[in-house]
Amino acid sequence: MDRAEATGLGLALAGHAVLLAILSLGLATATKKPLLSEPMEVSFVEEVGLKSAVTELNTEAPAPSVAPAAGAPEEAAPMPEPASPDPLPPPPRPVEAPPQPKVQPPPQPRVVLKPALQKPAPQKPATKPAPAKPAPAQAAPPKPAPQPARPAPAAARPKAAATGSGSAQQTRGSRLGRDFLKGVGSDPTPSTSQKPTGAVLSPIALSGIKSAITRQIQPCADRQVNPGPGANEIVVTLNLRLNRDGSLAARPSVVRTGGVGDANSRYEKRVTDLAIAAYTGCSPLRNLPEELYRTANGGWSNINMNYKLP
Amino acid sequence: MSNPGAAGAPEMMSPVALFMQADIVVKAVMIGLILASIWTWAIILSHALRIRRINHDDARFEREFWAADDMDRFFDKRAKEDLPSAKVFGAGIAEWRRSTVGKVVDREGARSRLANAMHSTITAEVDRLAERLNILATIGSVAPFVGLFGTVWGIMRSFSDIAGANSTSLAVVAPGIAEALFATAIGLFAAIPAVIAYNRMSYGINRIEARLTRFADAFHGTLSRELEREV
Repeated sequence: MDRAEATGLGLALAGHAVLLAILSLGLATATKKPLLSEPMEVSFVEEVGLKSAVTELNTEAPAPSVAPAAGAPEEAAPMPEPASPDPLPPPPRPVEAPPQPKVQPPPQPRVVLKPALQKPAPQKPATKPAPAKPAPAQAAPPKPAPQPARPAPAAARPKAAATGSGSAQQTRGSRLGRDFLKGVGSDPTPSTSQKPTGAVLSPIALSGIKSAITRQIQPCADRQVNPGPGANEIVVTLNLRLNRDGSLAARPSVVRTGGVGDANSRYEKRVTDLAIAAYTGCSPLRNLPEELYRTANGGWSNINMNYKLP
Repeated sequence: MSNPGAAGAPEMMSPVALFMQADIVVKAVMIGLILASIWTWAIILSHALRIRRINHDDARFEREFWAADDMDRFFDKRAKEDLPSAKVFGAGIAEWRRSTVGKVVDREGARSRLANAMHSTITAEVDRLAERLNILATIGSVAPFVGLFGTVWGIMRSFSDIAGANSTSLAVVAPGIAEALFATAIGLFAAIPAVIAYNRMSYGINRIEARLTRFADAFHGTLSRELEREV
């Protein structure tokens, strides 16, 4: 090995080492590019539930919407029944509310009556207020406007005073504070629970139930004899009505048959009979989830199953 | 090949990781092919340097030879150089001196001896230049098959693993096949430069041989004229 060959060997070794380093670093970083979109999980089911559902059901009640307590709790001195603070505040209101209609109706008739009385008034010029006739007629319309306006604050003020006195006399620790109805419907509820309150049938649960039924039917389905060529292409969709114990409530009914062509149309009736026989033969189905028997969007009480000869 | 998880997928394309996952047979094939690749490139680089140097120096030597006045002095000065042209020239001069040392000179015999001496020197020089090219040819033709052997072996292994895992998911199939195909990749990586270099160097050495033959013929003509004048 002369000098040229040694040089060549050294260069070749160095070149290979460099290439290996480039490939190791370059390929490792090239495949770590960020994904354009987040990967999503896809599940294949024959039939989807009508609405999306969580896999975990909410067994506890949703968080109550509670108004914040107004002030520190205080003993209610005069009232004999401080034990139930919640029902107490409403009584003052019905008590206070009647005065409002009582106060308001009198001014309203007055407003209506005044013009009514003053309009006939010009026809009687002999009376004393005759000179002032135009003035009340013009002054009268402004008057009625403040009058209904005034009773409203007046009614509101006693109401506030009543609640203030009521709270002083009863309990200051009531959960129904001054801002009891403030922003009703616009404030976010303190509950963060988004879970559905009842059992719902998710697509995953539905496919799980279907595969469980298929598995239990399999021994009976395997016993069926293929009646002829092409019969195994027929797909029979049966509707099962099940009892809670897993037994059939009624004979399975044929929803539809698919895959029937010229070659195998004569086996259609036979295959549907075989399908019904398979489901009746292994009928008491076991270990189906009890809570999904009947839910808001269906359950295994009424389920469609496909049947196909092996 | 013991179940590389899906989390290791990005790192799987690293050549080192592919090599480390491979079966022992595939590893041996890969090591052999990498050594073949290194050897190929060593031959390519050394021969490329040598052929370039010979082309350059031969042209310079021939230019100076035809410009020289006294052939004997030029022989004493330059015939020891490690150059094909110098060796052909030295062989011709040596044969000339041996043939013309006696009183009676057989001109025809001397001419054919001169031609033979120079021609055999040319073939010897070309043989010396081309001695490693057969390795390039061998690697160029055999490396793809060796890589293919590694691939077939690796795919056999990964299929038997699939049978054992009872799962045909791509995550089970893919790593074994990827590392098996890596063997073919290395085989092609070694073979392609070897084939290209073999063709280029055969052409370069043929050119050197043609140039040496032309030089020998011209020198033979000169010596023949000298032989006629000698007697």
